[in-house]
Amino acid sequence: MSQRGRGAAEEVSVTPWAAAEPLVVAARSGDVLALNDLLELLTPYVNRLCRPIALTDTADAVQEALIAVFRGLPKLKDPRSLYAWVRTIAVREAVRVAKRASREVPVAVDDCDGIVGLLGTRTTTELASEVHDVLRRLSSEHRAILVLRELEGLDEKAAGELLNVSIGTVKSRLHRARDNFRKAWVR
Amino acid sequence: MNGDAVNGDVMDADWPTGGLDPVRRLRVLAAGLNPVMYAEAHLDVSFAEVWAVAGDLEGELPHLIPSIRAFRLEEGGAGGAAAGGRDRCRAVAHGPLGHAADFDVLLQSGWCLMQSRMVIGGMAAVAEGAGTRFAVLGGARPSWLRSGLSPLRPIGRGRGARMIDRARRRVAVRRVDVRESRS
Repeated sequence: MSQRGRGAAEEVSVTPWAAAEPLVVAARSGDVLALNDLLELLTPYVNRLCRPIALTDTADAVQEALIAVFRGLPKLKDPRSLYAWVRTIAVREAVRVAKRASREVPVAVDDCDGIVGLLGTRTTTELASEVHDVLRRLSSEHRAILVLRELEGLDEKAAGELLNVSIGTVKSRLHRARDNFRKAWVR
Repeated sequence: MNGDAVNGDVMDADWPTGGLDPVRRLRVLAAGLNPVMYAEAHLDVSFAEVWAVAGDLEGELPHLIPSIRAFRLEEGGAGGAAAGGRDRCRAVAHGPLGHAADFDVLLQSGWCLMQSRMVIGGMAAVAEGAGTRFAVLGGARPSWLRSGLSPLRPIGRGRGARMIDRARRRVAVRRVDVRESRS
């Protein structure tokens, strides 16, 4: 993993905790206003993860992910792992919702910056629009692995643990995802 | 893989801001709180009419919740962002037997949460087609009490449905009042 990717992954598990810690503690005691603040804190992060995977069903994916997060909050053993735990749930729910959905349309422009890095070029509105079209043609599993590697900067081991697949599967899925992305792009 | 493709850190304030609508947010809170009462329904009236009732806590809450005789916001109370007022304030609820409880209130357009030391409540509304989806939540605040009341959830659903029905009736009453004041 690159230095920047490693930094991003570390910040997921450390930096946001300072803001989330008192809210998690208060939320567990039934403080509805703390739950509201925690919801506001987590929603953009969950939205960012779900959007490139669930595409037009992002609202459903974000809702389902946050329901699973809030339902599981009392059982979270180490609250310092909140963001890593939320990421696991969000990606799984986004893949599940995307599989369930019958239609898929392009993602928003802002969500493609990391994916566009595959092409070694800069994002423009026109380019992003073409990237959306290419992403739409990938499976939800391939979009998920690209989000974890390109947006979240996870290494293959961490991505495999999150998706509950072996490192070998991550490698082959990532290879196929990149390959399909490039082939679709060339066309 | 080009590591530079990683799109910034997770605390980046420029994340896409497309969030959840108020009713979806209340569903999420309900999942976390496991309240004894949660219900939602589609009302064939506009969002503005529904929220004119639900957001008028002092005027309408006693009509919506029978166990509240009066609800008083602290001076200058929560006017909501749309009204240019603060969206958080304190309030006092008075019960039918004269007892009172202090509440913290968060009131925004389509979104209201309130809690005392023992009780939590919430209302949410969002435009849905030509009408409005309206949701209500209520229950005990301490976790030990919430788990103790969980067997009463089927009754709570009925109470929530009746509260929504009362909101529907209050919208109709307000329409009549408006017509009469014009004539």
